[in-house]
Amino acid sequence: MDKSHERQRTGATIAKSAILMLIIVITVVTSYEIHLRNSGLQVSYDDGPALWANQRSKVYGDKEEQIVFIGSSRIKYDLDTDTWRQLTGIEPIQLACVGSTPVPILKDLANDPEFRGRLVIDITEPLFFSGIPPFLERPTDNLKYYHDHTIAQEMSFQLHSMLESQLVFLDEENLSLNAQLGIVPYIVPELQNRPGVYGALMFPLEFARTNFDRQTYMTDHFVTDTAQVGIVRNIWNGLAKMPMPPPMNDAQILAFLQDIKKSTDKIKARGGDVIFVRTPSSGPFREMEKMGFAKERYWNQILAVTDCPGIHFEEDASTKNFMCPEFSHLSRPDAKSYTSAFVKILSKHQGWDVQSEKLLTKI
Amino acid sequence: MVFNSYTFIAFFAIMLLVYNLPISWRAKKISLLAGSYIFYAAWNPPFILLLWLSTVVDFFVGKALYTQNNPVRKKVLLVVSLIGNLGMLCFFKYGTFLLENFVALVNTFGIDFHPAEPSIILPAGISFYTFTTLCYTIDMYQKRSEPVKSLLDFSLFVTFFPHLVAGPIVRPPQLVPQFEHPRSATRKQLMDGLLLLSLGLFMKVVLADALLSETADAVFNSPAALATLDAWTGVFAFSGQIFLDFAGYSTCAIGVALCLGFVLPQNFNYPYAAIGFSDFWKRWHITLSAWLRDYLYIPLGGNRKGKFRMYVALMATMLLGGLWHGANWTFVAWGGLHGLYLWAEKFITDRRKSTAEEKERQNRQWIGFLYAFFTFMLVNITWVFFRSDSFGKAWMILESMFGMTDSGQMVLTTMAIVKVAIVIPAILIFHWIMRNRKVIEVAYQMKWWSLGLVWSFLVLMLIWAQESGSAFIYFQF
Repeated sequence: MDKSHERQRTGATIAKSAILMLIIVITVVTSYEIHLRNSGLQVSYDDGPALWANQRSKVYGDKEEQIVFIGSSRIKYDLDTDTWRQLTGIEPIQLACVGSTPVPILKDLANDPEFRGRLVIDITEPLFFSGIPPFLERPTDNLKYYHDHTIAQEMSFQLHSMLESQLVFLDEENLSLNAQLGIVPYIVPELQNRPGVYGALMFPLEFARTNFDRQTYMTDHFVTDTAQVGIVRNIWNGLAKMPMPPPMNDAQILAFLQDIKKSTDKIKARGGDVIFVRTPSSGPFREMEKMGFAKERYWNQILAVTDCPGIHFEEDASTKNFMCPEFSHLSRPDAKSYTSAFVKILSKHQGWDVQSEKLLTKI
Repeated sequence: MVFNSYTFIAFFAIMLLVYNLPISWRAKKISLLAGSYIFYAAWNPPFILLLWLSTVVDFFVGKALYTQNNPVRKKVLLVVSLIGNLGMLCFFKYGTFLLENFVALVNTFGIDFHPAEPSIILPAGISFYTFTTLCYTIDMYQKRSEPVKSLLDFSLFVTFFPHLVAGPIVRPPQLVPQFEHPRSATRKQLMDGLLLLSLGLFMKVVLADALLSETADAVFNSPAALATLDAWTGVFAFSGQIFLDFAGYSTCAIGVALCLGFVLPQNFNYPYAAIGFSDFWKRWHITLSAWLRDYLYIPLGGNRKGKFRMYVALMATMLLGGLWHGANWTFVAWGGLHGLYLWAEKFITDRRKSTAEEKERQNRQWIGFLYAFFTFMLVNITWVFFRSDSFGKAWMILESMFGMTDSGQMVLTTMAIVKVAIVIPAILIFHWIMRNRKVIEVAYQMKWWSLGLVWSFLVLMLIWAQESGSAFIYFQF
C-alpha cells in the first residue's frame, strides 16, 4: 500500500467515525429533547448575567415606555409580564435577582446619568437588610458582566437565546452536567456534605422556569405536587436555621437607609421616580418575617427615610390574602391576579398612572 | 472571541466557507487576515491598533535589520524594535505593577508619594503576539531566516487567529512558508482538525470549567485557613484546571488551523507524566520554553560558559519566564521555585550519569511512574504561588496543605472532592499511558466505530456541560 493510498484510507476512516459521531449525537440529543417535552417541560432561559445584561441595556429611553423592577426573587415570580403589558402597554424591565439584595443594582442605576426612568424596588427584608457576600454575589456578577461584556459575548448571547427558545434541554440551571451531579448526594447519602459545609441549593426542576423577560414561574404541576412543594419549604426551613450575622440595630438601619436615600434621591433629581413594593409571602414564612423584620421597624422606616411611596401587600384588600404554595412566591395564576391588582394600586400613586398614561400619550 | 462560544462556531463556519470558495490564494489570505482582525476586535476593537502598529513596525524594521550591514545602525534598529515591543508590553502589562513597586520603594525611604491609580486595560494576548514579533526581529538581526517578503504574509503570521491570543507561540519558519503557496485542507486534515477541536473543547469546557474550576476558586478565594483535605483538593483542582484550560486552548488552536490546512507546533506533551523538571519543561507550554531557551537562556550563556554561568542563566530564565505570566511577584516566585527544582535536578543528574538506555528502561517501569508522580506533587507546590494573588494567600494555602493551622475551615462539598478525586488520577494515568504517543496516532489505531463512540462521548459531554463561554486562563497573560 503506497503512502497516498494510506492517507486516503485513514482520511476515509476518520470520516466514517465523524459520521457515526454525528448520528449518535443527533439521535441522543433528539431523544432527550423528546423525552423532556413529553414529560411536560417547556423552554426555560438561563437566568445568568447575559440575560440580565440584555434587560439592563433597555432601561434607557422615554420614561413612559418602560418601568424597571429590581429586588429579589419574589418580584420575578409575582409580576406576570404578559398581564402587565396587557394592562399598561409599558415594557417591564426585570432586573431583580434571586437570592440577592437589590442594593448594588440600585446604586448602579443611581450612578448612571443616562437613567432617568421609573424604578420599582421590591423588598424582601431578610435579603435587603443584610449585606452578606452571598446576597451580593449575583447582582455584582451581573453588573460586572453588563459593564465589561464584549461584542463576541453579545453575539453568543443572541445565538444562544435563539437555540434556547427552541430546545428544552438547554437549561443550565437544572439540566447541565453540574446541575445533574448536584442531585447525586440526594440519591447517595454517603456523598452528603460534611457538617458545616453548604453546597448550592437544589430546587426541584419545575420550581424555577424562566422566560426571556426574566419572569420566573413554577409549573402548574409543581403547585399540585405536594412532594416538590415540600422540598422547597424544607429548603426555606433550612435556610432559616443557617447561622446569620446579628440583625442591624436602629442606628445601623438608619445609616443603611440614608445610604439608600442617596441613591433614590439621585434618580429623582434626574426626573426619575422610585417606589417600593412589598410582594406577598404567607404561612410560617410570613410569621417568621414578622418576628424578625417587623413592618413598623423596617418597611415603614424605608418609606419615611427615603421619602418614597410604597405598596405593601398587606395594606390592600385585593392583595393581602394571596397564599404562596411554598410560602414565598406566587403561583402563575396568582401572579396574574396579583399583577392586575398591583397595576390598579400603583396607578393611584402620583406619577405612576400606568393604567392610562400610555393611552393618553398615544392620543 | 473564545473558541468555546457560539460566536466562534458561527465565525469558524463562515471562515471555512469563505476559505474554500474558488477564489485566488491572495483573496483567501486576505479573508483569513480580515477574519483574524474580526476575531480579535470582537473582544475590544481599539486594541486592533496595537496589533497593526506592532505588525507594521516589525515588518519594516525586520527587513531593514536583515539588509543593513552597518553594525551600529543594525543595533539601533534592533533597539527600536525591542523598545517598541517590550515598551508596549511593559506599559500595558507591567505599568501598574512597576508603579506600585516604585511607590512602595520610595515610601520605604520616607518619601510620601501617592500617585493616582492608573486604569490600564490589558490587551488580550499581548504577551503572545509580542513574543511572536520579537523573535522575528531578533532572527532578522542574527540572519537566522529570510525576511518575510510581503506585508500580507507577515500580518497573517502575526495575526492568524488560531494562535493570536494564547499561542502556540510560532516562529516565522514554522508558519510563513505555509502562507507562500496555495494550500487547502485535505479531508484527513479537516477531520483531524475537527477531532482535535472537539477534544480541546472537551478539556476546557467539561473538565476544566464544569468539573474543576469552582473547586479551585472556592479554595483560592477562601479568606480563612482551610482544612488539609480541602487545601490539597483545591490545589489539585487548579493543577488540573490550568493544564486542561491551556492545553485545551492549544489543542483547539491546532485543530482549527488544521481544518484550514495549516500546521501549528505542538504546545503540550502530557506534562504530568514528566520525570523531573527538565522533562516537565519539554512537555509544558513547549513553544514558550523553546522561545525562552533560544532567546534568553542561550544568549545569557546557556551551558557553554561553565557551570556557574549555566546555573545563573537557568534561574534568570525561569524568573523572567515567571514574570512573563503576570505582573505579580507571586509569578516570579513560581518561576524561581521551578528554577530551584531545575538546579537541584541538574546537580543530582550531573553526579549520577546514566545512559540513555538506562533512563529509557527506568522510565518504562513502575519506578518511572513514581518519579513522575513525585514531579507532579512538586509541581503542585509551585501552582500555589501561580494561583494565589498574594504571598499571604500562598502561605495560608501551604500552611493549610501541610496541617500547620489549628482551625482550618471545610469549604468544599463532598461532590467537589469526588470530582477532583476522579479527574486528577484519570489525568495522571492518561498522561502516563500517552507519554510517548500522539493523540492522532492513537485515534488512527482505533477501530473506526470505537473512535466514533469516543468522539460522540466528547461531543455529548460538551453539550451536556452547558457551560457559558468563560475566558481561557492564559488570555490574561
